[in-house]
Amino acid sequence: MSEAEQTRIITVARDLDLVPGDRLHCLELVDCVDRDRRHVVGPLGLKVGRTPPADIVLRDSEISRSHCLVTIDDGQLMVADLGSTNGTYVDGVKVEGVVPLPVGSILQIGKRSLQHEYRTRAEIAESDELDRELQKASAYIQALLPPPLPDGPIRCDWTLVPCARLGGDAFGYGQLSDDLFVAYLIDVAGHGAGAAMLAVAVMSQLRQRNLPDTDMRSPAAVLTTINRLYQMEDQADLYFTMWYGVYDARSRELRYAAAGHHAAFLVPPDRSQVIAAGNRNVIIGAKPDATFTEATVEVPLGASMYVFSDGVFEIVDKAGRQWSIADFERLILEPRVDGISETERLFQAVREAATPGPLDDDFSLLVAQFD
Amino acid sequence: MDMQFTDVGGVTKAVLGGRLDSFSVGEVETRFVANIVPKEQPAVVDLSDVSFIASLGIRMLIGTARALQRSNARFAMFGANDSVMEIIETTSLTEIIPVVGTEAEALAVVTA
Repeated sequence: MSEAEQTRIITVARDLDLVPGDRLHCLELVDCVDRDRRHVVGPLGLKVGRTPPADIVLRDSEISRSHCLVTIDDGQLMVADLGSTNGTYVDGVKVEGVVPLPVGSILQIGKRSLQHEYRTRAEIAESDELDRELQKASAYIQALLPPPLPDGPIRCDWTLVPCARLGGDAFGYGQLSDDLFVAYLIDVAGHGAGAAMLAVAVMSQLRQRNLPDTDMRSPAAVLTTINRLYQMEDQADLYFTMWYGVYDARSRELRYAAAGHHAAFLVPPDRSQVIAAGNRNVIIGAKPDATFTEATVEVPLGASMYVFSDGVFEIVDKAGRQWSIADFERLILEPRVDGISETERLFQAVREAATPGPLDDDFSLLVAQFD
Repeated sequence: MDMQFTDVGGVTKAVLGGRLDSFSVGEVETRFVANIVPKEQPAVVDLSDVSFIASLGIRMLIGTARALQRSNARFAMFGANDSVMEIIETTSLTEIIPVVGTEAEALAVVTA
């Protein structure tokens, strides 16, 4: 028989098939929906690192090539740091020597977090199915977001990193007419499936640019209609904040309104200051008869506009200090970095400042740059 | 998150302490609501020792105020520090829940 005629049969064993017993120790990445987010810890343990031959490979510059080792000792999960540069943490406490990793605890390395779960095979199968559904839902939400605009008189880019597998933030932008450009951001209180479904519902309606009896060029009118349509008692007690702005390229005027949302920032090319584009209106959903106001500001030549959710700045830094929007303003005014987008620069800076582990809230940031 | 409840002349007084973030709301919301809403009487919340309120914390406070409103009972908060007040003002929470400086003012608001 020639080589070409041979049939090669390759069987691939899943890691859980190789481990005896009904209940299995698992390490599960908590900040992603990847299909391979769950890793079963076998009798030989698992090494975590940035590159192979680590068993769990996590591409993160803050993770050492060979970072830590997780083993089973007398039925209990234990973890040891392998001399990593940035350390290994269990529930925020730095690992010294070999320490237990209790069920439910969070193993933090670099920017990544893994939770210890002790599951039956049936639970794993069920959880895998749920993961597949969440992955589809997450992909659907991502597909609704607008693509970056790298060229043209208004360039846009964004970064969205949900703190859970489904977040409650959504945003959009695009032309309302030849001269009018609209951008908006929605931040539903909380995260998970409920918040994500509400965010998608609102985003889908705004994408159609067609609210009933509403002038889409008027931010106050848009917020008034959205508030009438999405009252908390009709939305499982969920409310949201929102920023909506319309830029007129002829007059260089930005007309905006914020509902329970902080200001967006305009930054001139010399990065000398931020110009706040924000006003005070009640959150969406809490007051059916609320009236909303709008304001205007002139956009400087070559300015950038930053629209973001509160998850971008409501972090606790490594010194234990609660950040406010002023801290993020300081980061914005720092110079841009060649080779990475402005939204990615700011995400990395916030991630670097925050305590290890996933951020407490969704990180949503969109930057529009005007000619 | 620390919580204490007392009765001040027919007004429920809740004293909160610490961070009212997404994690702690999940831990305390049921107890907070259960100690205020079923009494169907006015309530005030002391925010003096609260260092941060996340959006889910605001939702908890709004939900409690609205539930009390259905019993015709008023709800007010007092004592917020500058950083918490900034969050309250950004969300215009004061349009839904009165937020005043002192306990005496809060009691006056809910019993007027």
